[in-house]
Amino acid sequence: MAEIRKTISIAGAIIAMALVLTAGRSAAQSALDLRINEVLVYNDSNYVDSYGQRNGWIEIFNSAYNTVDIGGMYLTNDPANPTKYWIPKGDPLTKIAPRNYILFFADAVATRGIQHLNFTLQETDYLALYEGNGKTLIDALKLGPQKPDVSYGRLTDGGVEWGFLEKTTPGANNYTGVIITAGEKFGAMDPYGIGMTLIAMTVVFLALLLLYIVFKNTKKLYSIDVKKMFTRKEKVSEAQKASDEEITGEVNAAIALALHLYVSELHDHEEAVLTIKKVARTYSPWSSKIYGMRSLHR
Amino acid sequence: MEQSGSFLSFVVEHLNEFFTYTAFANITAGHIIMICIGLLFIYLAIAKEYEPLLLIPIGFGILIGNVAFVPGLQIGIYETGSVLNYLYFGVLQGIYPPLIFLGIGAMTDFSALISNPKLMLIGAAAQFGIFGAYAIALLLGFSPSEAGAIAIIGGADGPTAIFLSSKLAPELMGAIAISAYSYMALVPVIQPPIMRLLTSSRERVIRMKPPRSVSKTEKVLFPIIGMLLTTFIVPSGLPLLGMLFFGNLLKESGVTKRLADTAKGPMIDIVTILIGLTVGASTQATTFLTAKSVGIFALGAASFVIATTAGVLFVKFFNIFLKEGNKINPLIGNSGVSAVPDSARVSQFVGLEYDKTNHLLMHAMGPNVAGVIGSAVAAGIMLGFLA
Repeated sequence: MAEIRKTISIAGAIIAMALVLTAGRSAAQSALDLRINEVLVYNDSNYVDSYGQRNGWIEIFNSAYNTVDIGGMYLTNDPANPTKYWIPKGDPLTKIAPRNYILFFADAVATRGIQHLNFTLQETDYLALYEGNGKTLIDALKLGPQKPDVSYGRLTDGGVEWGFLEKTTPGANNYTGVIITAGEKFGAMDPYGIGMTLIAMTVVFLALLLLYIVFKNTKKLYSIDVKKMFTRKEKVSEAQKASDEEITGEVNAAIALALHLYVSELHDHEEAVLTIKKVARTYSPWSSKIYGMRSLHR
Repeated sequence: MEQSGSFLSFVVEHLNEFFTYTAFANITAGHIIMICIGLLFIYLAIAKEYEPLLLIPIGFGILIGNVAFVPGLQIGIYETGSVLNYLYFGVLQGIYPPLIFLGIGAMTDFSALISNPKLMLIGAAAQFGIFGAYAIALLLGFSPSEAGAIAIIGGADGPTAIFLSSKLAPELMGAIAISAYSYMALVPVIQPPIMRLLTSSRERVIRMKPPRSVSKTEKVLFPIIGMLLTTFIVPSGLPLLGMLFFGNLLKESGVTKRLADTAKGPMIDIVTILIGLTVGASTQATTFLTAKSVGIFALGAASFVIATTAGVLFVKFFNIFLKEGNKINPLIGNSGVSAVPDSARVSQFVGLEYDKTNHLLMHAMGPNVAGVIGSAVAAGIMLGFLA
């Protein structure tokens, strides 16, 4: 009983450890991953649209790792009217590739195409993106005082910090500094690989140690006899104890072999009978070929 | 007369032009060296029977990859749109290795490991080979990503090596794969001297307790719990570990025999052909014969030596804490290097040299399959940190 309790407590500890290790933010990969990423309100000498016009623009970033269709969603600059501009559905332009961007031009000339909005950014200091139901807010932004030709955006794509960007980057990465990869960062911090060895070997050992602990105790766990737990403990004889002990593979193999020999080699009724038949001849049959062992009766 | 002369010159001119398209006109010393290496692989596979299922496709792939041609005809493995390029896609995108792991899972019997779970730790210890090689690669001037991709050779697991190098250093994948498979084939040559050197004559004859019988429930639970535990810790190892344990569940559930048979039969055979041939063909002399490739081969050898040493020494260390009768024969320490089942076979043969009745194969299979799990976990960690 005490052993079973110990086993259950170990299993509980393992599950708790697993929960602690895996506790973290789980990221859904859907329309909710879209982000208003960069905005330019006063475009005096900046990005020119396909009509040769300079207008305020909004960059939406797909922070997911799958393609997201922005078609059917709403952009608005009016908190009281979440469905101000409906982004048409079914257009290839509205499908945003993983970690990619789409631009909308706030020129209040919606007849120019699906990327041209029916409002401008100077009208209010509010901007929001709503889901297709017109109720679920995906992202919103309160614009403060803006500077001409300087865009306001997230300092890194999809990041939480906002500010005026050094360079306007419509349809491109907001961070324009030198990008250091995870590998380069790791290499700089751990030039001799000692850190990697320590961390990685700890994790490898931990993973296999957990498996070891689980499988050391699994047999005990599933072999718990619930009925027995609630019945009165009786004295167990030595013979019973011995029979309860683990049977090794060798014992099993020996039993299997014995069974095999018994089933396949010992027959009550043999298929053929070997016997000696007396031959009534005066000469010795041993020297005659016709009475050899392989000779058949005719 | 003039017309026939111009026709003759036309024929000669086009014959000359045709000649410029042939491999004879484009061959370099590098191509010849690579063709010799390919022939050596084929010889080792057929005459010595070293990993023939791998070395024949790879060896022939090397021959295919080193037939010199004029670029632009869409025939080379690196030319977009060529047939070989399409087949190579499965390597580049890491599609083939998980499929091979599915087959391995469907083939592997984890009973030895379940019956004596402490053997799992030997599989973990042998992964020191990976990180030892990582440190040396950094010292030799490889970038961290390259070092990680090269180091995984020490895991002695071809699919894992291809998977990780395709993510971390695709340009080195050919050399890494060739190195990994070469050393896996050479396990019977590399490991025994190290095992003899590190063990005493008394340790070599340690008899281990026979493994207990494992119930079907345990066998079914193993892939489920194994997958959840390992991938919860290292989610980046999911493609490999998920497929490995899934394949094993197909086998052990007993109700999906057809699926298990397909996974461990036709499917793994097809993928092995494709992965072997395309990895071999990716070793075009122009991209393969570099100083880096030589470095990769040297590091590969070092990683195998470190992994074997770590496995054997770990068992000796572990034995300090084990009671008499429960001790582990250090000759199975080498089998943490996950070249399944070659390194386990090495344990068996070396063990029999010292005691003709001491069969270590079943015991060695435990760390051997634990090594597969361990190297996939290690690959996941590398991917998490360096990608």
